Amino acid sequence: MDKKEKTLYIVITLLVVSLAIFGVWIEGPTNAFRQVLMLQGQSAQLINDFTVYGTGGTFVNAASVGALALILVYFASVNLSGPTLATILTMIGFSFFGTTPLNSIPIIVGVYLASRYSNQSFGSFSIIALFGTAIGPVVTFIIFTTDMPLMFSFPLGLAAGVLIGFILPALASSMLQLHQGYNLYNMGFTCGFLGLFIAGILRALGIIYIPESNWNEGSSLSLMLVIPFFSLVFIITALLTEKWQNCFYGLKEIQKMTGRLPSDFFDSPYIGGTLLNVGLLGLLYYLYVLAIGVSLSGPVVGGLLTIMAFGGFGKTLKNTYPIVLGVILASLLFKKELTEGGAVLALLFSTTLAPLAGQFGPVIGIVAGVLHLVMVEITAHWQGALNLYNNGFAGGLTAILVVAIMQWFSTYQKRRSRL
Amino acid sequence: MKRKKEFIGRLIGEMTNYLLESDPLMLVVSLHHEQDGAHISFFDDRIRTDKELKKINDALNPKNSRPELAGYYGSMAGNSMSWSGRLDLIGWQIKGASVKNSSTGIHIDLWLGSDEFMPEQFTINQNKK
Repeated sequence: MDKKEKTLYIVITLLVVSLAIFGVWIEGPTNAFRQVLMLQGQSAQLINDFTVYGTGGTFVNAASVGALALILVYFASVNLSGPTLATILTMIGFSFFGTTPLNSIPIIVGVYLASRYSNQSFGSFSIIALFGTAIGPVVTFIIFTTDMPLMFSFPLGLAAGVLIGFILPALASSMLQLHQGYNLYNMGFTCGFLGLFIAGILRALGIIYIPESNWNEGSSLSLMLVIPFFSLVFIITALLTEKWQNCFYGLKEIQKMTGRLPSDFFDSPYIGGTLLNVGLLGLLYYLYVLAIGVSLSGPVVGGLLTIMAFGGFGKTLKNTYPIVLGVILASLLFKKELTEGGAVLALLFSTTLAPLAGQFGPVIGIVAGVLHLVMVEITAHWQGALNLYNNGFAGGLTAILVVAIMQWFSTYQKRRSRL
Repeated sequence: MKRKKEFIGRLIGEMTNYLLESDPLMLVVSLHHEQDGAHISFFDDRIRTDKELKKINDALNPKNSRPELAGYYGSMAGNSMSWSGRLDLIGWQIKGASVKNSSTGIHIDLWLGSDEFMPEQFTINQNKK
């Protein structure tokens, strides 16, 4: 294990342990434990803000999901680097509104079985296994939302999760080819595609149920502190790892990268710059959320954590802003409230399309942002709100459209220039 | 066999995508296949600078093994000829590569195979001796 990897292990362990300690501290151990147990039985369909049931329990749930991901990365013998950091922080983020150990583990087991079946190491499927937990709500839905007695629904839910996990590797690579790496949440796209069929089957059986959104309207101090704390840990680590001049030089160099999958910024010589990028992305979008007066609910914290998650794997300050501008523009154009929950989440998660702006420039980035907002509002219903990374699904569709058009234009231009 | 065919095809696709960007007048791809592995050679008529050779060599011989990237993201290799070729996608999936200038242009050898496969025991090399 090299110095960079050791540093990342220390940082992630610190963040996970801090979440657990903080959760237990604000609720007390008994209450926090009770809340964590309660969260396992809640509907994980979009959007169910877990902080409504208790902030402390949500923090402990997030810590347990983060610990599960970190342990898997360690034992799968894969590098803790850009992509794996992205999976861990994204899973922590979504455990504020959907991901639990109960609905994650069956998916991971299914992917593990697929790796055994195909005679590959689990490490080679580890990213699919961890991001694949996006479709975890199917497990919870079958166990707790159908009318079956628990003694039948429980094993059925677990078995469905294992089966879904088993087929995810087959789908994930194919989906990647469609958008050619320009949608960072490829597993969101994959799970959304699969979710279409699952929701179709559930609709045919007459048991689909899409719950009303459940948001925490108030903002607690503890939730407000999560992002500044996480961001500062990354910024301080950057400044401890390298001289500040090198950090800022690295940050500047990273802004030149397109971010197209798979761009592991930790593979570049700019480790300090990458850590700084992660921290600054978190702070920048946190300040935006505060500036427009949105309360820090579980999903908003999850969105901000996901932006940070990809700060070492595709997102930069430079390639995210055009997409976000596009979403703001679309909100104004279609007379949507910028502070409305769905619009805020669309804005934060739209940064999945950052590589489009990185590759084709800010104008295409803005167009992609506009298209993304239009799509994301309808895709959740298509897939029965069962795929947590709904923006990854909408982002995938947007990326396919934009990339196909850009590809055609680039070919046409090349031909014309030769004539 | 199906998987091997697809794998080799993708590697050749991505590598030729990269080499064709420098607009060569000649490009030769040669494949030698054995039970435990394969050897693919690429020759063109464009001499590269030392800096370019190092860049290509570094991308094809990554410092760390990256199983989490090789199988999943590596499947993008050879998928599209519209954008620049990405040699790191190849580097994660092969056993090793050698990169040098020949008298006419660049000469790249890709070695692929199982853990048992050793390029130095490859019969092509023995024949050369």
